[in-house]
Amino acid sequence: MNILAIEDDLEMASFVQRILSDEGHSVETVHDGESGLALARSKEFDLLIVDRMLPRKDGLELVREFRESGGNAPTLFLSALSDVDHRVEGLKAGGDDYLTKPFAPSELLARVDALGRRGGTEAPITILKVGDLEMNRLARTVKRGEESIDLQPREFRLLEFLMRNAGQVVTRTMLLEKVWDYHFDPQTNVIDVHISRLRGKIDKDFDRPLLHTVRGAGYRLQA
Amino acid sequence: MRLPLPSFVRTTTFRLAVVHAVTFLIFTFGLLIYLFYSTAGYMRSQSVKELDGEVQALAAAFNTGGMARLNQSVVERSSVPGPYFYVLQDADGQTISGDFPSIPDEVPDEESVETNFNYQTLNRNGEIEVRSANGIIIRLPNGAALMVAYDLGQRRQIVDRIIQTMWTALPIGLALSLIGGLIISRWAARRAEQLTRTTDGIISGDLSRRAPVIGSGDEFDRRSERLNAMLDKLEHLMMTTRHAGDAIAHDLRSPLTRLRNRLENDLRDGEKVDREESLERTIAEVDAVLATFNAILSLSRIQAGDAAKFKQVDISTLGEELAELYQPAAEDEGLSFDSEIEAGLTVDGDPSLLGQAMANLLDNAMKYTPKGGAMTLRVRTNSHDQAEISVTDTGPGIPEADRDRAVKRFVRLEASRTQPGNGLGLAMVDAIARLHHGKFELSDGPGEPPSIGLRAALLLPKAQE
Repeated sequence: MNILAIEDDLEMASFVQRILSDEGHSVETVHDGESGLALARSKEFDLLIVDRMLPRKDGLELVREFRESGGNAPTLFLSALSDVDHRVEGLKAGGDDYLTKPFAPSELLARVDALGRRGGTEAPITILKVGDLEMNRLARTVKRGEESIDLQPREFRLLEFLMRNAGQVVTRTMLLEKVWDYHFDPQTNVIDVHISRLRGKIDKDFDRPLLHTVRGAGYRLQA
Repeated sequence: MRLPLPSFVRTTTFRLAVVHAVTFLIFTFGLLIYLFYSTAGYMRSQSVKELDGEVQALAAAFNTGGMARLNQSVVERSSVPGPYFYVLQDADGQTISGDFPSIPDEVPDEESVETNFNYQTLNRNGEIEVRSANGIIIRLPNGAALMVAYDLGQRRQIVDRIIQTMWTALPIGLALSLIGGLIISRWAARRAEQLTRTTDGIISGDLSRRAPVIGSGDEFDRRSERLNAMLDKLEHLMMTTRHAGDAIAHDLRSPLTRLRNRLENDLRDGEKVDREESLERTIAEVDAVLATFNAILSLSRIQAGDAAKFKQVDISTLGEELAELYQPAAEDEGLSFDSEIEAGLTVDGDPSLLGQAMANLLDNAMKYTPKGGAMTLRVRTNSHDQAEISVTDTGPGIPEADRDRAVKRFVRLEASRTQPGNGLGLAMVDAIARLHHGKFELSDGPGEPPSIGLRAALLLPKAQE
């Protein structure tokens, strides 16, 4: 992916660049809002990573102007401000996701991957398929091979999110935010238990597991 | 050479006292002058009136009976003792009758003239005394002259007395008001000085110092009371901060020390070390430290938060969702998890913070309840018509004496020191309760001794319909 990172903290900027380049993304970095906006308008990027507070043009303002001038590259806000209000402001201004500093590299990568994919097709898909696992979103049925699997509503949404991001790492925080819509971290690993229950339903009686734990990062659903 | 002023002269209270004394003196002086002029003036106009009366009576005698009648009247009047003097002269300047051998002043050629003169008389002790008189000299149509005068002695005496009194009163008043001013200023200065000493003591680090309150209820007392109240609050905050500081130090020192020691070891071991594993563990520990700092930050933000952004929150739904989130985890921990949730209960609040509070309570219950125990989440209307969110467990509970302390920042009771956590969980719940104009209380849980368990309840005002 072609990524533009606009971040005034040089240390943080090179950290972001390093993480993303290591994964094969090509990253350009600029350190203030105005040159960031100019660059974002002049070139096609697959993703913008924008710090909330930037010199010469605030991150919110930057994204707002970028959207007004027709820019549609997905945008990830980085911020030291973790309040829900700040998050809402960021999303209102046209951001697609919001990540609070400090973050783990895996968290950044997972979100970048999720956003990069969203940039493509957001068309409503009725049937999701990962290997021999199949979900019908309209009929709200799941089956693996020929065997139908019975899921609770929350398990269904959890699996749906995993299937939409199949092949990519999703973090516990992402699951809490996107599946449960919670913006705080419970201290205990409540998510893990839900994953292991889901795993019990979709993987238990099958030779090839689909739902993998990625150590230190999160989970990945992959055929 | 200028003498240095004593320090009390520089005090506001002393200056006020001086200003007060001077004002008082000016006022008194003005009052005396007014009194003097109005008294003297009154007495003067009174004697002029009486003098006029005498002149009128004598003129009437002259008009009706000529010189003979006038002479008779003058003789009669002269013989009556009193403050009036009469002298009658004929056209040649010879004295016909009267109190004096001659008119003691120049006689005008015509009409009348006012006269002031001194005369000698014997007083009661037989001494010669000089007295003043004021009167009028009239040239009569036939060339004769008449003087009627009034002894000023009485009037002058009163006036002299007033002036004398003024001159005596002035220095006494000055002295008294200065002394009074000094006493007031010394007293006020001493009270102010006590306040200064208290603040000095506090500046030098003795936060337990308090300003004296003497119980007079005056402004000094009131100021001292306010100051003391402020100091109480400050001391409390300082204690909290100091305690929080100690707690931060305590909680961060162990992981940081561990971290440092391991890095030191890894450095010594050189090649033998699994570099990746070492760094991963380092990052995990740094993350834990950062998480604690983040928790401190959000707690401060909650405590400084405002209720302006509140909206109606359906805590029943929130409770159900959280129960659903936690139930599997609790069951995996070997706990039985129940939820009793009254439908449709709403409060005015911040959904995210309320969720956080519930999650903290559920986290705690899960963390401290041993296998085989039970925990219950309840959302209901209590007997005081408040919305009550409670989590009960059958864990070890918190002894009653420790409950107040348990909700303070960074307090981790002895029993919990071994558990992971940053000591901010309950403090955060308490802060969230306060932000929502509610209360957070801890009480005995449903268990049997020795593990009575804990009931942690958030009491919130219900949303206004």
